Amino acid sequence: MAAATRERRVDVPFEEKASLFAEVQADPRFADYLYGCYECGICVAVCPSARFYDFSPRRIAQACAREDVELVWEQMNGEVWECSQCFSCLRCPRKNNPGGLVTIMREVAVRNGLHSAKAALEGYTRIIYKIMSTGTQVSPDMIRADAFPDWGPNAKETADNLALWRRAMPPETMHTTSASWEVDDKTLTELYFIWYSTGVMDMIRTLDESLHMILVDVMEEKLEEAGYPVS
Amino acid sequence: MAIPINIPVRGPDATKPKRGAFRPTPDDASEDVRDKVLELEAAGEWIVQRVPAPYAEVTTKYGRLKKIPIQGSWHHKSCGQCGHIPGYSTSIFWLHRKLGLEYNDPRDQTSCTAWNYYASATSNSAAQAGVAMRNFAAAYETGYFPQIHCATSYGHYKEVRSELVHHKALRDQVRDLLRRMGRPFVIPEEIVHYSEWIYAVRHEIAKRTVLDLSAITTTVHPACHYYKLVQEDAIYDPDVYGGQRTAIVTAVVEALGAKVGDYSTWFDCCGFGFRHILVQRDFTRSFAVQRKIEVMREEVNPDVTLTHDTGCVTTLDKSQFAAQAHRGSVAAIPVMSEAQFAALAMGAHPYRVCQLHWHAADYRPLLEKMGIDWRERWREFEDDLERLKSEPGKVMTWDDADAAPVDPMLGPHPAHTAHGGR
Amino acid sequence: MLGGTVLIIGGGPAGLEAARGVADLGYKALLVEMRERLGGTPISANYAALTHGMRDAEEVLGEMVAAVTGHALVDVRLGTKVTGCAGAVGEFAVTLEHGGRPETVQVGAIIVATGFDHFDPGRASQQYGYYQYDDVITLQEAEAMLKTKQFVVPSKGLPPARVCFIQCVGSRDRHIGNEYCSKVCCGIASKQAIEIRQLLPDCKVFIFYIDMRMYGYWENEIYWPAQEKYKVNYIKGVISEITTKGDRLMIRGEDTTMNRPMEVPMDVVILSNGMEPSRGTKEIARTLGLTQNRYGFIETPHDSLDTVATSVPGIFAAGAATGPKDLDDTMGMAGSAAMKAVAAVRRATKAALA
Repeated sequence: MAAATRERRVDVPFEEKASLFAEVQADPRFADYLYGCYECGICVAVCPSARFYDFSPRRIAQACAREDVELVWEQMNGEVWECSQCFSCLRCPRKNNPGGLVTIMREVAVRNGLHSAKAALEGYTRIIYKIMSTGTQVSPDMIRADAFPDWGPNAKETADNLALWRRAMPPETMHTTSASWEVDDKTLTELYFIWYSTGVMDMIRTLDESLHMILVDVMEEKLEEAGYPVS
Repeated sequence: MAIPINIPVRGPDATKPKRGAFRPTPDDASEDVRDKVLELEAAGEWIVQRVPAPYAEVTTKYGRLKKIPIQGSWHHKSCGQCGHIPGYSTSIFWLHRKLGLEYNDPRDQTSCTAWNYYASATSNSAAQAGVAMRNFAAAYETGYFPQIHCATSYGHYKEVRSELVHHKALRDQVRDLLRRMGRPFVIPEEIVHYSEWIYAVRHEIAKRTVLDLSAITTTVHPACHYYKLVQEDAIYDPDVYGGQRTAIVTAVVEALGAKVGDYSTWFDCCGFGFRHILVQRDFTRSFAVQRKIEVMREEVNPDVTLTHDTGCVTTLDKSQFAAQAHRGSVAAIPVMSEAQFAALAMGAHPYRVCQLHWHAADYRPLLEKMGIDWRERWREFEDDLERLKSEPGKVMTWDDADAAPVDPMLGPHPAHTAHGGR
Repeated sequence: MLGGTVLIIGGGPAGLEAARGVADLGYKALLVEMRERLGGTPISANYAALTHGMRDAEEVLGEMVAAVTGHALVDVRLGTKVTGCAGAVGEFAVTLEHGGRPETVQVGAIIVATGFDHFDPGRASQQYGYYQYDDVITLQEAEAMLKTKQFVVPSKGLPPARVCFIQCVGSRDRHIGNEYCSKVCCGIASKQAIEIRQLLPDCKVFIFYIDMRMYGYWENEIYWPAQEKYKVNYIKGVISEITTKGDRLMIRGEDTTMNRPMEVPMDVVILSNGMEPSRGTKEIARTLGLTQNRYGFIETPHDSLDTVATSVPGIFAAGAATGPKDLDDTMGMAGSAAMKAVAAVRRATKAALA
């Protein structure tokens, strides 16, 4: 996170921070996620991340409610990545959604290419590649002992026998190793079309240029074949 | 190998209400998004795919009834299940088949993409809603009704439904997306999770059990994304926890005749974290072990912990090894879905159907206690593997899965004693 | 005589004070109560000491009842309900039902004093498990114990070492729909905390709150003594869930001023459950055609200048039938309603004679 820390210390002009906060506020979901806050602390009481990190959904809600541009900037560059997105905080009696505010803040961070977002997602890009290109989030061939050493010897045993074990199960769609189930070509193409049409590919380009290049290689061919316009 | 201990369970009757049951009245119901879904259909904004008959009616948090279709399901599969815990999905299909219920297992289905969304936010409202509605359209076009396998997908789709209902601009954008793909703009009348279906048919499953589970103690972990998102849309039953906690999974386990022990961190998240379990696992591990597993062990010492979500099974199952390596030999608590547990109770093969060899926490003492001869079953499975090895491209079929006579009442092989022998 | 009687519906503090007021002004008061006993909620829910005078509830209500039952101009009908109403101010024709027998009476004005119900914690949006745990109780259950001059752990029958109150249960909550504040629970909880500390000097008592609503003299007469003399612990941070560990309750919350999550054992948890319109209030609103607000209480003008008027001229409301009220409010409203009801009757009579 050295780059992120460096960035925080570097003088980022107030206008830039204010414009990022304005982007958060302008999200159509913001009004659904933030009413008033009377600082009751129920959200913190139920939050798993609050027990492990110095993270507080109450502070997220309060920073946004008070329009504290500086604090929101700090949070967007750090804390928001500690949220476990469990939505236990939806027990808020005012019906605020601090977890949802975190989602918006993360999206804004990613869209704007903040260093802290890139740092937080380092090591995660292989997952983005998997979901965006195959249509399933994970795949059997991701279970490797070197990727999950803390999962025990079971991970190695699975990896060693993968191809055979994947044939040894009855469901017709699950005899796969590179995706969780067999996804039709047409289905995949539609998924690519959704990513392109909703601006997600632009987000990926800002986040990670090389990941974007690899994905575009896979996607554009299929999209053109299917006759979808590719921007 | 640790010896399973039979100590008295604290609070197995925690599910029975002390003060009588809480029964909500229709007055108590707050605004329900499902009314708005139908209003939008009347206004011509979208098609609502109705729940087909036959269906069961179950009660939700404020007393409103929810329709759960019994058959004709379009199985919206889960990446984490099919990819890493295949026995989970297999058991869900197997239960449908054993009950003689027709279903569709589609290839025209993508992941809900919620795991990625919650982990990295490398997506947005429109993409998420687009993916959801594309899947719903695919189901609608087959005539089957979506049954969601993963609780994260389920919670996320409930969230998407709320957003679509409340934001016209989003609706218009997604409708246009689907139109350009040549798909109808359709949303199901109810968003149904497979565990709600199991709840609805639990008595049918119970009738078909071949094992006596009365000596089995379980703990239940309810998934955050099942009951914390859109809280009014989750199953609550006055006969379970006095109607004060969601009845999902617990009601099924009780119907099967096993005991459910209560523990003080019941409402806690498992610690999956979406991003954390993939790239920052110290959080997930610590949380799962310290807030859930160790508390369960200390307060209940269950034979198994049951849950109904991909992330929860993965987290609780995979996090125990590191803690064991750190703390020395303490028995693991086996982890599985209630679907796998119900399948075992109905005589399903622990490896061909429940695929327990993919699970990390040791499940063998549990199987022994349930009266399942896992050594014999593993020998059969190894034979299956040999057969498959010798014929490249061959796969196991549903007939193969039920092929060899699986008679758990035969009991364990005499060479292996009930407890501790290995 | 043309409708010279004022009908008062409900025999709790508001109804009793209104009836006495009407009679003291020289007019006939017809007091109708659906239960078999006068006194209202303080009696039926076994209140101990009233907030904030700390006088015994049964004693105070006894005095109020005596003032009414001894009065020549007050006609008390117990076990009686109002089932119909026609006409307008000055000449309402009201149907009463007693033991299944209907009777129509002519009245000039009506005062509704049908009160509130305590919120049922089964509907709480936080996980309090009220129907699961014997030792999680409501304010009125605590009152009933305090009335017998004792306080024990319900599941054990022994005095507790640690007791806490959780404020705002059923109030100030968008999930439930009761977005208002129930006004009296902070005062009542503090009063009960004092009573528990008086009975059990070794028992630690906590109050978990969002805001402490101690208006006016409640601040110096209740809040300060509770903290300073009786060492009640006030912690800002509402409890999110109650589970059990061993044979004790475990509560979970955030101590917000200290910025840390907390998880502590308790022997008894008292839920400060709020006010909702009573079934009687909702029924009478329908019977008399009175506008209700979105929470089901009888609607009165919001400009604070007329606290007792309803949507129907000649019908007034007093007390918690209109929303959360404390005893001061209730007595004040009852007097105001009595005055206005009598004025309405006099105007109607004058107009009729003119």
